[in-house]
Amino acid sequence: MGKQLRQIAIYGKGGIGKSTTTQNLTAGLVERGNHVMVVGCDPKADSTRLLLGGLHQKTVLDTLRDQGDDIELESILKEGFMGTKCVESGGPEPGVGCAGRGIITSIGLLERLGAYTEELDYVFYDVLGDVVCGGFAMPIREGKAKEIYIVASGEMMALYAANNISKGIARYARQGGVRLGGIICNSRNVDREAELVRAFAEELGTQMIHFVPRDNDVQRAEIRKKTVIQHFPESKQADEYRELARKIEENDKFVIPKPMTQERLEEILVEYGLMDDLKDDYRI
Amino acid sequence: MSKVNLDIPEVEIREIRLGSITGFQGTAKELVSACSACSGKLKDKNRSFSQCLGCGTSNAACTLTLIQDAAIISHGPVGCSTCLHEFAFTYRVNAYLRQLDHPTQRKIYSTNLEEKDTIYGGAKKLESAIREVYKRAKPSAIFVITTCAAGIIGDDVESVTNAAESELGIPVVAVFCEGFRSKMWTSGFDAGYHGIARKIIKPARQKRNIINVINFWGSDIFREWFGEFGYEPNYITPFSTVDSLSYSSEAALTVQACSTLGSYLGAALEQSFGVPEIRNSPPYGIAQTDRWFRELGQVIGKEKEVEDFLARKKEEYLPKIEALREKLRGKTAYVTAGASHGHSLLALLKELGMEPQGAAIFHHDPQYDNEDERSDTLKHTVEDYGDVPNYNVCNKQEFELVNVLNRIKPDILLARHGGMTLWGAKLGIPSLLIGDEHFGMGYEGLVAYGERILETIENDEFVKNLAKHSTNPYTKWWLEQEPYTFLGGNF
Repeated sequence: MGKQLRQIAIYGKGGIGKSTTTQNLTAGLVERGNHVMVVGCDPKADSTRLLLGGLHQKTVLDTLRDQGDDIELESILKEGFMGTKCVESGGPEPGVGCAGRGIITSIGLLERLGAYTEELDYVFYDVLGDVVCGGFAMPIREGKAKEIYIVASGEMMALYAANNISKGIARYARQGGVRLGGIICNSRNVDREAELVRAFAEELGTQMIHFVPRDNDVQRAEIRKKTVIQHFPESKQADEYRELARKIEENDKFVIPKPMTQERLEEILVEYGLMDDLKDDYRI
Repeated sequence: MSKVNLDIPEVEIREIRLGSITGFQGTAKELVSACSACSGKLKDKNRSFSQCLGCGTSNAACTLTLIQDAAIISHGPVGCSTCLHEFAFTYRVNAYLRQLDHPTQRKIYSTNLEEKDTIYGGAKKLESAIREVYKRAKPSAIFVITTCAAGIIGDDVESVTNAAESELGIPVVAVFCEGFRSKMWTSGFDAGYHGIARKIIKPARQKRNIINVINFWGSDIFREWFGEFGYEPNYITPFSTVDSLSYSSEAALTVQACSTLGSYLGAALEQSFGVPEIRNSPPYGIAQTDRWFRELGQVIGKEKEVEDFLARKKEEYLPKIEALREKLRGKTAYVTAGASHGHSLLALLKELGMEPQGAAIFHHDPQYDNEDERSDTLKHTVEDYGDVPNYNVCNKQEFELVNVLNRIKPDILLARHGGMTLWGAKLGIPSLLIGDEHFGMGYEGLVAYGERILETIENDEFVKNLAKHSTNPYTKWWLEQEPYTFLGGNF
């Protein structure tokens, strides 16, 4: 029986911790014996730094620009922590060209070069910020990623972005098989954060799949270019990521999200105390 | 309020500036009254089926490629410039009309944007293309015409051209004419002229006895006409030079061969450089010829000379015109042409006693940039000569043209653009293509055009035979449908 490749896209507001969460989650999954490929879809090309122990030197698009179409897969696909395969799409300098078009080209090239091998259990697409244009929706179009997780926190703008992303998912869900698997709460230590994110997730028709607490071990490991699981394998935070990996491995709740109106979103925020006094307590 | 604004790099598109449309069916009079009675209410309804469409980038190229010593660079995928070579042909075959014995090769280039350029941006490629073109072609000015791909990825073409201009010391002009900006391909003319007005035309040093003629590549009739009053034509832009364009600000006035073409530049020359523009649309048909020359006389202060001139012309040509009327009276015709020139041809036909049964006119501008009703050629035609039935704003849809021609079966089809007359010929209708837009102007033009019409109608053997042996690619079903089945109404 051939195993089913699970292609997963990770979205969320810029700076929320998508790359950190994706790489720690990946470490958790490979520890469980899975074969994982991580495709960074961000022009900054920093989505695989922790798994590789440093920045990926050869992005797909830089290689394409320097070498033309005649590219060897080996030159863009690097092996990281416990055999994790790491690819960075890369992209133009800030303010020029079109990064969205870059992702489309880059994913097309990966397919052509045969990066999606049979032994893989998971492919993760770590996508920059909001779904600003068609290019950034590429990983969830045309039957690529079928599962999406949104990284969010209890902060208003993070939830606002998550709701917006859900609109994009709902659009593509109607045409293809893409589904939302849940919200990963990457805690920012906001009051009543778990309750708020759980309520928000339920309103969307999905679940808060895991609450990842805030822990400085994450930053300490990052400075050393490592995931928490690699750097502090015995720590409590490492166990949190292992738990996230288990939940994702066992997840069977995949939905078409029901994005809410701005009014409803604000109601929920008020209900959980976040907007009691907007003037005094406005945080993003 | 005029919408001419030379401070911003991009010209405002025609549907917003002038309320232009690409679809209408009705009579000419209905269109004129729809335009004046409910300004802004004419709606451009989409055809639910379109056979072909124009792109503004080509019309921008049309205004720039034929400048003798300029080079143009299409900044985009190479496919966007695949039609531009036809301007090289136009330049070569019409050069003799302007006493240009050795027409030089046109300088047309493309940055050939490829997929990776759309990702990383095409600015560097454009920079090196400009340097390379400067080195190879030694032009007096370089125009960069933009395309959709460059527009979507947001290449900063204006900054690149400004930097290149400082570096090279010649005008390097960004012309924003991405096809998707406007449904009106004629917005491309405006984009080209906008670039010329912003970067090429300089303030006048002194006034000179020249008259700007905004036109295509028609014959040099203005030299004789203006010579009568002590002036010379300064043709804009085909066969001009960068230098002659630079000092078009020194002209006494500006005239146009076709209000559709020169609307923007005529207004820009008047508003930004103080060169008055003749308001009356071009001199086709006796009524309009008289009006046009009289306005010319007023502007240059030679009213009496103009009256003498018109009297001489009448004396010489009226008997010939009358003789032609005798032969052409009651003959039916159908016209297909660009907007204002098409209106002029309808006037010309009526002046010759013929009965135009309809027209397929490419688009319609409810007003022009000078916002003066005297420029409305169709209004003049209707008021001077009466209504024209079956008036269709056709957006170049040949399937509609074939359907209409098959119903109307006029005695002659008149066209101004290549590729249109074959449809008349296949249906056995004598068809006449005259590309020289000056050919029918003035009193002599009525005679010249009338003679060609007569000759074409009398020599119908070829088209009759052709019709017998050609297959119509359109189905019987389509020919039985209403011609405007796919047009969604006028308002």
